[in-house]
Amino acid sequence: MKNPIILIFAFIVAAKAQGNTLVLLDNQVIKETHSIFFKSLQDRGYTLTFKIADDSSLVLSKYGEYLYENLIIFAPSVIEFGGNLNVDTITQFIDNGGNVLVAGSESTGDILRELASEVGFEVDEEGAFVIDHLNYDSSDEGQHTKLVVSSENLIDAPVIVGIKKNIAPILYQGTGILADSENPLVLPLLTADSTAYSYQPDQAIKEYPHAIGKDTVLIAGLQARNNARIVFSGSLSFFSDEYFTSPVEKVSGDLKSAKSGNEDVAVAISQWVFKEHGRLRVKAVQHHKAGENAPPHDYTIMDDVVYKIGIEIYDNGKWKPFSANDVQLEFVRIDPFVRTTLKSNANGVYEAKFKIPDVYGVYQFKVDYDRVGFTRLYSTTQVSVRPLQHTQYERFIDSAYPYYTSAFSMMLGLFVFSIVFLHMKDDEKKSKNE
Amino acid sequence: MKMSSKLLLICLLVAALASLSEASIGGYICPYSSKKFLDIASKALKADTQDISSLYHAANSFKILNEAVPANLKPVACQTVKKLFNVETLEIDNLFYGVESFKLLGCDGKLSTEGVVKKVQDILQNEKSSVASLHYASKTQTFLGQQISNQAKLAQLVQAQLKTDDSLLSLGHALHLAASLGQSGKFITERIEDIVVQADEVDGKLLQWEGGLSTTSLIITGLLQFPASSPLNQPQADKLANYLLSRLTVQTPKGISALLEAAQALATSKVSPVSISVTGQNSVTLDNPNLKIQVSDIFGKPLKTALSPVVAQSATRIADDVVVLAKQPLNVGAKETEFVLPLKLEPGYYKILLNAGPHSTTLTARVLGPVQVKTFEIGLSDADQSSAPKLEKLTHPNKLNKKLQGDSGQNLLVKFTLSRQVHQAFLRLSSGKKEIIFVAGHESNSQYKVEADLGQELPISDSFNIELIIGDSIITNPFRWQVGEIEIKITNAPTVASLKTLRGPKPEIEHMFRKPEKRPAKAVSLLFTGLTAAPFLILLILWSRIGVNLSNFSMRAVPFHLGFGAILGLFTCFWLKLDMFVTCAWLIPVGGFTFFTGHRLLSHMARSKKPEKADK
Repeated sequence: MKNPIILIFAFIVAAKAQGNTLVLLDNQVIKETHSIFFKSLQDRGYTLTFKIADDSSLVLSKYGEYLYENLIIFAPSVIEFGGNLNVDTITQFIDNGGNVLVAGSESTGDILRELASEVGFEVDEEGAFVIDHLNYDSSDEGQHTKLVVSSENLIDAPVIVGIKKNIAPILYQGTGILADSENPLVLPLLTADSTAYSYQPDQAIKEYPHAIGKDTVLIAGLQARNNARIVFSGSLSFFSDEYFTSPVEKVSGDLKSAKSGNEDVAVAISQWVFKEHGRLRVKAVQHHKAGENAPPHDYTIMDDVVYKIGIEIYDNGKWKPFSANDVQLEFVRIDPFVRTTLKSNANGVYEAKFKIPDVYGVYQFKVDYDRVGFTRLYSTTQVSVRPLQHTQYERFIDSAYPYYTSAFSMMLGLFVFSIVFLHMKDDEKKSKNE
Repeated sequence: MKMSSKLLLICLLVAALASLSEASIGGYICPYSSKKFLDIASKALKADTQDISSLYHAANSFKILNEAVPANLKPVACQTVKKLFNVETLEIDNLFYGVESFKLLGCDGKLSTEGVVKKVQDILQNEKSSVASLHYASKTQTFLGQQISNQAKLAQLVQAQLKTDDSLLSLGHALHLAASLGQSGKFITERIEDIVVQADEVDGKLLQWEGGLSTTSLIITGLLQFPASSPLNQPQADKLANYLLSRLTVQTPKGISALLEAAQALATSKVSPVSISVTGQNSVTLDNPNLKIQVSDIFGKPLKTALSPVVAQSATRIADDVVVLAKQPLNVGAKETEFVLPLKLEPGYYKILLNAGPHSTTLTARVLGPVQVKTFEIGLSDADQSSAPKLEKLTHPNKLNKKLQGDSGQNLLVKFTLSRQVHQAFLRLSSGKKEIIFVAGHESNSQYKVEADLGQELPISDSFNIELIIGDSIITNPFRWQVGEIEIKITNAPTVASLKTLRGPKPEIEHMFRKPEKRPAKAVSLLFTGLTAAPFLILLILWSRIGVNLSNFSMRAVPFHLGFGAILGLFTCFWLKLDMFVTCAWLIPVGGFTFFTGHRLLSHMARSKKPEKADK
């Protein structure tokens, strides 16, 4: 009898595993035209709450607690969010670690534009499409705005977009995004080809287009310093059932596939943005002198030290050992004195052996692993390093032998002389006496 | 694959392109969609499911599309129906789906329907049955070949239920139920207007009822069973049809079945929407100027009453609003539904107003043409205009035979003339992954010019590829032309842009340990060791030569010398291993002892010397 209850409980826990997600839509039809995408989320355990974007009952938090972990805004043309939702509350949501997925379109509303600029992107003007007269799909409607984008144009980060090689060409129709290339947090997830540009298709080009060539970002991502993730796509159709299921055929050229790569990329991106992928954590940190097991109270300069750190990655709801070959350790006293690449063991344990510098002070073992697509891993352990004790210096130095011998010959001389001096019988006196 | 992608192409174009007018819709359920529907339905029939309704919906989809259920799927599906059909556990709707799908699939044998009749009766008698279960129960009963005994009572039941729950879903079921009740079902006709009003309009194009495809479908099919009260007018039917067409990507058997049922109901009704759309590409080229137009019902089938004449009322060039043709009748094409409009026009966008009988629509079509580079000149000019620029002429696909050499004081000047004006005329300079794109300024008469200040625009010295990109939506040959190369030397600029590595491994640092101080050679220190030891050794040697008379020595002196030796030995130990405290602790007794013995020795010696002096 107990079993079903446990099962139900387990099911609730499993269903809860991926957290609550609020989905804002322009209209209910989007829920149906993008059903494959939403279903893939639900299948992975997300609880989706669908709301119309200007619904007056929208709330993100109640009594200071967030009701949702993730926010999807599939409402390109929304003018004002309903309820207490606005750009400020959404940026606050991001500041508190919430993840946001936004899809715009050629008619992206001002409020989404404002939101985009809050997170470091700039969305092109209303009515502007990304146009590419050389790379459009055969089902294009005539404006050459339904682009075929090679998977080569995806960002070089398998953790975000999956393995590029295996991805079919991607369909895209929407507006262009400009990302600030100076901003280290912004990631251009998908960019257009050199021949693309973003402009109103039915107007002659009078001004320099906002986004042109490879600078045209189609899907932009951002991982904030608090590891909150934001993805902004210029195309809502990118996530639609139609684009997921339709074949791709570039008009000129050889890009062709029975099914577009949209589903693969969209699912991979959603897994990244909602932190199913690329989440790292430190399991344990160990450090000790070579040949010992426990960390000492303090280190002495020039000790040989062994540092071990266990790193785990979140994968399918479990924490598993993480393997990489570019994790680095720094030994820092204001500036790094030593920076070395850690050797990876089988179980996600990384190890480094090095000699502590000959400068004493308060140091930190610092691992700062910041790679594209992964959450930032930052671990510091403070240790003090003291100078040598007087007994720890070198004894019996060759060059000091003259000093040693002089001292000892002095002592010996004194001892012998004292005997001789005290007990000598004066011969002269003796002779005198004689 | 080629075939299906073509079909899809047609389908999408049709669905999206034709702008909508009140009296027609711009698409139909095209063969590509039907094929996909059948694929999904087949998959549902094959699946080992616990859900009997998906089998019904799949079978129903096959029926509406006039396709036979594949022979290899039938036994499996029938087996599943038989397995799942259980009067005890299934709800009435699933029972209905069971019996219905058994028939739709044309299964052999008989479904054991014992107990079904009783269950149906129970529901029909029960005052608490919901409208939906009443609907399914009555349908099941009719299906099993029995008359509904007390129609008036059932009607009352439904009315009573509607008072507590008049959601759209129950109203939809009520419509169906009322339709089957004949005279007694009259009560619903007064609700029809109310139901229609509740439909939501999206963007002025689509009409749907809240609750998605299945609710909308249920209501459409229900409403259209009352042709007498003409529930829907033509624009409403068109908008509903548009909604259905927008849902062609539906993935579930239930959705497909609902969509097809609604489409069928619309197509067979008096307000059957007329679909006027372009088939295939909406663009024609100069070689192939025939624009194919299809006039059909929502399933792409010929209309019950052929509409004639099909006339292109007018065609307007969108760019300058010039009317280029008027009142041109269309020729009948290869199929009954196909009409052909030849467009022998200048390249551009055209808006075509089309009439098919009383129905009209506006279509957009493109006429495509090629573009050529007539003249092309490239060269460098001085930024201060001090000398006339030297331009080199080039013809299209040739390449410059030598590299251009530019520096920061010069402008890159490119002038070219095309055979027509284009949207995209870009000049791209690229080197590796870097690229800089210049937009060619359009001067009069399809002349274009790019003038780029190398000093300002290019921050680095490098060798760049020059490429001209020409593109437009109405040209047949967009191209990229590798024009040549340019070597640019910018003074005071780094040759390679310093790439900041923000992420990724940093260079390794190894600590430089202080080098030990230089020490003298061992031989030198040994020599000096010898020298320092020398005085003591010389002393010993000389004493051994001269001879030392130690006859004054007495045993009395031994403790003092032992003590003194011990002090010196303690100092040696101190040097080797002891620390100050231990040394002091030892020194106190040893020192005291030495002091005492030393004092005794010396006083003894002094005493023994005094008599001698006295002797003197």
